[in-house]
Amino acid sequence: MAQHLAKFVPSATNPWDRTKAAHLLNRAGFGGRGDEVDRMTRLGPDAAVDELVNYNRVPESVSLPDFSSLRTVWESLARLYQQRAPENERFQARVIAIRADNQKFQEVREWWVGRMIQTRRPLQEKMVLFWHGLLVSGRPETRLSENLFIQNELFRRNALGNFKEMISSIAKDPAMLEYLDNESNRKGRPNENFARELLELFTVGIGNYTEQDIKEAARAFTGWTRRGYEFFFNAAQHDDGPKTFLGRTGNLDGSDIIDIIFEQPATLRFLPRRLFEYFAYLRPEESLVEQMAEVFRQNQFQVAPLVRKILSSQAFYSPVAMRSQVKSPAQLVVGTARLLDVDPGQTPALTRAMDLMGQALMFPPNVGGWPRGESWITTATILLRYNFSGLLLTGGMPGVARRPASRPPVPAGAVRMLDGCRTAGEAVNRLTDGLVAGSLDATRRGALVRALGASDPQLSFAPSGADADRLRSALHLLLCSPEYQMA
Amino acid sequence: MSQGMTRREFIQKGLTIVAMGSTAPSFLTRTALVMANPFDIAQVTSRPGVPDDHVLVVVQMGGGNDGLNTLVPFSDDAYYRARPRLAIPRQEVIQVSSEFGLHPKMGKFKEMLDRGVAAVIQGVGYPNPNRSHFKSMEIWHTADPEGRVMRVGWIGRYFDSKCPVCVEPTAGVNIGSSLPLAMKADGGQGVTLENPDTFQWLPSLEGVGAREERELFKLLNAPAPNEPGTIDFLRHTAMNAVLSSDRVREAVRQYKGGIDYPNNRFSYSMRLIAQMIAGRLPTKVYYAHMTGFDTHASQQGVHDTLLEQLSSGVDAFYRDLEAQGNADRVLVVAFSEFGRRVAENGSAGTDHGTAAPMFVFGKRVRPGIHGRQPSLTDLTDGDLRHGVDFRSVYATVLDQWLGADPSKILGSEFERVPFLQ
Repeated sequence: MAQHLAKFVPSATNPWDRTKAAHLLNRAGFGGRGDEVDRMTRLGPDAAVDELVNYNRVPESVSLPDFSSLRTVWESLARLYQQRAPENERFQARVIAIRADNQKFQEVREWWVGRMIQTRRPLQEKMVLFWHGLLVSGRPETRLSENLFIQNELFRRNALGNFKEMISSIAKDPAMLEYLDNESNRKGRPNENFARELLELFTVGIGNYTEQDIKEAARAFTGWTRRGYEFFFNAAQHDDGPKTFLGRTGNLDGSDIIDIIFEQPATLRFLPRRLFEYFAYLRPEESLVEQMAEVFRQNQFQVAPLVRKILSSQAFYSPVAMRSQVKSPAQLVVGTARLLDVDPGQTPALTRAMDLMGQALMFPPNVGGWPRGESWITTATILLRYNFSGLLLTGGMPGVARRPASRPPVPAGAVRMLDGCRTAGEAVNRLTDGLVAGSLDATRRGALVRALGASDPQLSFAPSGADADRLRSALHLLLCSPEYQMA
Repeated sequence: MSQGMTRREFIQKGLTIVAMGSTAPSFLTRTALVMANPFDIAQVTSRPGVPDDHVLVVVQMGGGNDGLNTLVPFSDDAYYRARPRLAIPRQEVIQVSSEFGLHPKMGKFKEMLDRGVAAVIQGVGYPNPNRSHFKSMEIWHTADPEGRVMRVGWIGRYFDSKCPVCVEPTAGVNIGSSLPLAMKADGGQGVTLENPDTFQWLPSLEGVGAREERELFKLLNAPAPNEPGTIDFLRHTAMNAVLSSDRVREAVRQYKGGIDYPNNRFSYSMRLIAQMIAGRLPTKVYYAHMTGFDTHASQQGVHDTLLEQLSSGVDAFYRDLEAQGNADRVLVVAFSEFGRRVAENGSAGTDHGTAAPMFVFGKRVRPGIHGRQPSLTDLTDGDLRHGVDFRSVYATVLDQWLGADPSKILGSEFERVPFLQ
């Protein structure tokens, strides 16, 4: 069946229902609790997508990390250098500064994870994660954690904004200038790092430029550097000679390069493809990409209309898309924390668990960003993903925390799912509805009934009087299922 | 996805019956144990002349290693002209021949050369070099310079050729969180792990409850027929993980090595591999990673550290194998997706280049320098022209070390490089 970008219109045979509402919440956010799914079901597809896309209408109050003392530490180190203080003094100050920055780095990462868990604007945070995975920066190349935070806020501010503006901003973003070395890209002996990845990974994609284009683009970005936390154009280091880039000749600078990139048909297809793969499914049909490119062109690189189009399309709600996505570690961890109401005090452990699963935020594997789809899953990561459930249910996880002698209470979100249920079979159905959208066959549900200590699903089960260990065991088994790894 | 032969079929048959029929979890556990019963790879035979207990260790130097500052052409003025800031001064180079020397931090490598257990293959690359990290890495992993999209890698194709040990779940073991494309096989995913402590599944209950929970876990994860590809893939991976976890942890537990390794991630990986080799894990290929070679700026300090880690890590590994009595069985091959530009850039770094040296270690190598250093003045777009096709190195390893037919795995014949005795 050919996939279509045309709008999904509910019908008697293909209605808007809880399954589709849950799918929308999974993909445009980090999943939804039962009451949220119910509400989105009542809203209908148009209003549901509207609410997600127009997140600016939803108030969000968050406290931001404070960098003032860290800045002071770095400034005092800089002063020691200016004063030509003795090397041992500088060394000690440097160690202190690096340690303070590392601590702040950890705080910023945890702040971000916490924000994803608590946000009332799931699509905005989902887009921040998207941009971080596309326009990659991070440790160890980017040293200043404040710059990584500044970049994170750029992604948030412009989450559904204009792609061309995003690329123009990222080319001047201090964390990126550090990460891809453009800060030291100088006239005469240019550094190709940023120019190459701008073309290969951020915009047109491989096959749409030559090695010579990279060299010329690198010249155009010479002198684009930073001073501390801000972009700085160093005219003395800028090569203002003639250059030829993608067939255009002139005294091009970085902005001209970006203008030319945004005249390329490949750029029109690039971001829509990536967004579609992020929200719907991998390797979309070329006809679909063409349709999206046309939407993107008409909207002059505005991302919001494109995302709205994707989230409203027939393709998005088609069987190919539904429950076909392997959750990224962020999706798994944040989604589980939201669904089960995990104690915010657990955020550092959650961040660490995500690291082990292969998604260390702000510490990407390389400039190509994160794996996708089945590449997330290896014999190593599947066990980590499964043991993550143990962290929530027993308080322990190998590599994160030793299991404590006494168990934490059963997570509130799970208790809520079971509210008012009377039999073991009903309890299992509630849990599978809430956690894997009901996608578990009868035999496997039978296993969960047994885990609850019942030989028959008809046997009575009262959440209040239930044996907490039995309940944890059933929950653990469900979270340790392949079905739970998918959304 | 096309599911595997032997071991996957076995899992499917052995475990599916239980999953679909009445529950008999203890039988399930036993089936898994029978299946996981390791056999000694010394007992199997593949090809006359090549012992079957050979092991290959691949070391990936991710990011593009600067070959010219690794094996330094110190007698060539063109090198010093191209690199006014980064060139390694003649007097600091560890001299290997009248023309070449090693980076000053590679003292351990030099000792290995002198002991006759290390070799360099110069100027390795491929036609129409690609300077994208991702594309070039893919080319090395799939052994396809035309860069066609492939789901399986060259080591994976070797596994698919069904060498006697290749049917084992642990035929390939990668240290890291993601499985390299090189190891992906039609016959199933290899094993990848970061460390033995996290490589285990823990039930939530303790004691008797834990035993039952384990049985139910297998029921939930057992593959069943006609399931969507990704779910099926997840179930197979989960089962492989649980089965190989017991073996790997057992193998590692047995070994108490007395060799000190340097304290870094790469050495940790090599130590873990040495432990698994000592534990006689039925594994033909191990894979370890180094990253950070993408030295576009302020190259020197970073590159110094990396080369020091490479040399000292491999040296400790080799001494460990000698102490175990396994040095004869193991060959280490180190590669990078490309070398770097001959001329340095203005950031005291180097941009992406082409040909670069590969390194091999082991008791059976023919020590010294193989291949030929490409000219530093006769360049293409500022980059070196390769003299040895990397597939020739693969062909040599497949043929002379693993006893496999390289033409089947690589698609055509390649000249051998005489770096093995």
